[in-house]
Amino acid sequence: MKTIIIIPCHNEEKNISKVVFDSLKYSPHVLVVDDGSTDKTPQNAKESGATILKHIINLGKGAAAKTGCDYAYEKGFDSVILIDGDGQHDPCEIPRFVEQLNQADIVFGYRKFSKNMPFVFRFGNQLINLVTKVLYGLNLKDTQNGYRAFKVNIYRKIRWKAQDYSMESEMIANVGRYKLNHKEVPIQTIYSDNYKGTTIIDGIKIVLNMFLWRLN
Amino acid sequence: MTSNLLGIQIIGVLFALLMFYLTFLYLRRKEFTNKESIFWFGAWTIFLFLAIFPKGLDYFIKTWLTFGRRLDFFIIVGFMFLIGMLFHTYTIVRKNQQKIESVVRRIAIEKAKKGE
Repeated sequence: MKTIIIIPCHNEEKNISKVVFDSLKYSPHVLVVDDGSTDKTPQNAKESGATILKHIINLGKGAAAKTGCDYAYEKGFDSVILIDGDGQHDPCEIPRFVEQLNQADIVFGYRKFSKNMPFVFRFGNQLINLVTKVLYGLNLKDTQNGYRAFKVNIYRKIRWKAQDYSMESEMIANVGRYKLNHKEVPIQTIYSDNYKGTTIIDGIKIVLNMFLWRLN
Repeated sequence: MTSNLLGIQIIGVLFALLMFYLTFLYLRRKEFTNKESIFWFGAWTIFLFLAIFPKGLDYFIKTWLTFGRRLDFFIIVGFMFLIGMLFHTYTIVRKNQQKIESVVRRIAIEKAKKGE
């Protein structure tokens, strides 16, 4: 299976080299989608051995991931691994995703929620998980986790419109709509001080969007 | 009451004249097409007419639309116009956002294919 690791990122000059370097151990095809960074993210990623796609302006994680996945689709890859560029996902878990992908169309990573995670994030995540279950019939442990893998032949079905962090939920909504075969794998998450992920406002937007997507 | 009304009318006339001038500037800079300019000049002419002769629409407002006061009519029509413009602007922004996204993403992929 020809696998590509796609890393959407924005201003991650400190972390991107390590993420690329570690990812290259599991696939020779590592693609960094630089979403309009103003620092040395693309240079560092290129020097570390990744292929670079560069957005000339910042569009958002959803748009960057979509650019990477469109590229993978056009280049004829068989499977895609999506990981974050801020170093919170450990590439050493990629083989487990690939292994699970033999039995499923899409594999979701899930974090084990600990008390170290802020209450508002735990609550928000559980709420979105519940809405996902009610609206789409998918019982996922961590709907907001960006560490995922899927077969490229389902990409046209799960392709999202969202430009921002709600892409993760929109992808799940499409998985539910087409009743695609899915699996989950537990992952370790390394939290950094420089958190740039989903905010409370994003969470509210995601929940509202999930109701709208259900109408489609 | 009369002096208040006159004050509002003066503001209305000055506003209409300012908008005439801005529309003319946009036309001269070729940022408006002739069609757009005709639309806006027409809109400001109506606005100017109503500012000078507010009673001109009284028959229509009070008899046909049964508004008690002229001001009520202008406030309601004004709000409807603003909400309509807001919706129109929203759709344009949304369309442009999608176009920009599509262009930016396409440039990224094409550049990578050319090996730049």
